[in-house]
Amino acid sequence: MSDLETTPTGENPPIGYVTGGGLEANLQVRLEVPAHEVQEGAFVVTDSDRWRFYGLVTDLQLAATDERFAAESMDRRFTPKLSQLLREETLYTNLVMLPALMLDRGPDLASPEYPAWRELNKDKIKPMPVKTIPAHHAPVRLANRADITDIFGKEDGKNMFRVGETREQGHPICLDLEKLVKRSSGIFGTTGSGKSFLTRMILAGLIHANTAATLIFDMHNEYGPDSTSSDTGAAVPGLKSKFKAEIRLVGLGAGTSFGKLPSDFNLEIPYSEITPEDILLLSQTLNLRETSAQTLSALVNEFGQEWYKKFKEFIVGAMETNDEGKKVPAPKSVAYWAEGAGINAMAAEALHSKLQRLFRSHYLVETPAENALQKMIETLKAGKHVILSFGKYDSELDYLLVTNLITRKIRDTWEDWTDDYHRDSAKNPEPRPLVVAVEEAHKLLNREMASQTIFSTIAREMRKYYVTLLIIDQRPSQIYDEVMSQLGTRISGSLGDESDIDAVLSGLAGRQALRGMLAKLQPKEEVLMLGWGVPMPIPIRSRRYDDKFWAELKGGGTTEAQRKLGRSMAGEPDDSD
Amino acid sequence: MQNDLKIPIGKLLRADASSFVAGCRVHELEAPALGALVKVKLRDGAETYGLISNITIQDDGLVRQIASRGTLSPEYEADNRYNRNLPVEIFVLTVGYRQAGKLFQRLPPRPPFSLDALWLCDEHELCDFTENPAYLRHILRVQDQPLEELLVSHLAQAKAAHEVMDPQRTNAEGEWYGKACKALIAYLRDDYELMARVLNALGELETK
Repeated sequence: MSDLETTPTGENPPIGYVTGGGLEANLQVRLEVPAHEVQEGAFVVTDSDRWRFYGLVTDLQLAATDERFAAESMDRRFTPKLSQLLREETLYTNLVMLPALMLDRGPDLASPEYPAWRELNKDKIKPMPVKTIPAHHAPVRLANRADITDIFGKEDGKNMFRVGETREQGHPICLDLEKLVKRSSGIFGTTGSGKSFLTRMILAGLIHANTAATLIFDMHNEYGPDSTSSDTGAAVPGLKSKFKAEIRLVGLGAGTSFGKLPSDFNLEIPYSEITPEDILLLSQTLNLRETSAQTLSALVNEFGQEWYKKFKEFIVGAMETNDEGKKVPAPKSVAYWAEGAGINAMAAEALHSKLQRLFRSHYLVETPAENALQKMIETLKAGKHVILSFGKYDSELDYLLVTNLITRKIRDTWEDWTDDYHRDSAKNPEPRPLVVAVEEAHKLLNREMASQTIFSTIAREMRKYYVTLLIIDQRPSQIYDEVMSQLGTRISGSLGDESDIDAVLSGLAGRQALRGMLAKLQPKEEVLMLGWGVPMPIPIRSRRYDDKFWAELKGGGTTEAQRKLGRSMAGEPDDSD
Repeated sequence: MQNDLKIPIGKLLRADASSFVAGCRVHELEAPALGALVKVKLRDGAETYGLISNITIQDDGLVRQIASRGTLSPEYEADNRYNRNLPVEIFVLTVGYRQAGKLFQRLPPRPPFSLDALWLCDEHELCDFTENPAYLRHILRVQDQPLEELLVSHLAQAKAAHEVMDPQRTNAEGEWYGKACKALIAYLRDDYELMARVLNALGELETK
């Protein structure tokens, strides 16, 4: 940030002054305005000598010069006028400021040294994590629009994406989408907290800015097609209707559509793509025994890629009579194969029985009509976006199997792509960043599953290969700690459970101070942004997902004529007639 | 400044850096009141201001004898009352001074001298001196008398003077009495007990 927008004029008036505190204990600020004029989470600024400090209000505490003044109602003892004067002089509010960033402002603006300093440092002046503290009695004020822009950047219609406004004064807060996709991130909140709308907006921002390809595992058909708000009954536009050319809707299994919208193509997974690892991932869901791994290994050893097809064709309990008149397992039976492979027949039959749920899944086929899996990968590589609908296959089993299998293929593709690029960057293009959006993430990333699924690997390592996760969940405490710690940006709506709040704040500085803020967010309206991807934690009033949002995002205005122009500029058909 | 309204009420008996005592005759005692602003004119033209913090009437041997005698004729009693051997003593708490026309609310460089005349200030001078209520801090030095009563007496006089001199000044921000109370509260906010006593006493001024 080389061009600061702060000016000596236009600053908000002081609301108080620093009286104590420190980096660990946060700063104590004595308020000089009524407490109700400042809210928890307010973005405040204090100037001390050449440094400007930026911070958040994390608490407001009533205080008195002597506790006895506060302990008894003054109106009962003194006249109204004296009571009022006494209150003004002896009762006050202490504000707790969590200092987050500081900025070197250089010598005094009017001093002869300033121009030289400015010239020397013009590309170096940017906020840095706070390392010192302001002096006693440094005045504290609410941040103005220029302060917010200095820290969070200015909306540019592309990567600097406005996600909301400050709660007090409504100054726009932007998220740097380019930075967002460099590490995995998470959007959290209880049901009804507005996280789905927020996710839609961020995905819309990513697609519009063309920052990264996105693969969205849409468990509940929320993101692709238009829908209706469960609260207001209002129509909620889906991403597909706004980005017709950029998004491919993929239905799992033949015939799966997105409500009234047809799929662009359907995903059928060939048997040959299923690996024993995919099956073992489902151990908990299928209640597999410990012997399953051995059985699966024997199947692969004997049949190679065809193991799933062959195993499915086996019949449990098929018997025949041998020459000696004894009943023995028939050649097409599981037991027959097991005996031949040196596997316990009962274990093999148990595995076969438990895989019946998969065998009955119609999206798993021997020979798909087209190689839709590869088509998905190619679509993503080409910079388009894919929304996968699970349609009627909405069980945990289907979700786990399909997401893991697709993501494994993606990892392999992007690793190869990145290796090629590093080997010869002149010949091979740089990989396009890919964001994999995962709903109900705790099902894939809980403590038991995280070590087995590909998603934990992506969260940990794949940013080097341009692939990151966007985790969407209502129970962050159920997500494995190690995965949570890898999330660069965390955006959270209201959370009711203490353990969920702890999880969202894990590993962050000042988390104790942010707890109360997170617990008191207004559902559907407010979110807290924090983590590596944002310069400093900040609670915001999130942007509304409505016609105005789309008009602004796509370059239109609020009038029909402006919207029409926006659609035209976005290359969309004019369907207004 | 309307000098003709200023009333001489006694002569200085003794003084130190922060207070002085004047003596007066009994008939002169009708003018001064507890908490009133008074001044002593020094020979160099300076004026030392003070607040009357106490008025004492000492007994002497004759008064004691008369008091123990029983019924006396009114003439005899009046003679002994007004023609006392010992003067009435007016104790004054120094609160500031004026030098070369400039007003200071701190202790003067030197105390006044004995037999300097003590004058009662009129409303103009009272308003002029008390405009800045910072001088109230001097009253908080008083230890051997009920401080809150002295404050009430003084503020009642000053409040009345300001209301007469500037009746338009009644809004909360500009009103002199509110400003004075605020200053007092600021001085006393670390002393809960005294503050409570003072504010309880001041309540009387508002109920009237």
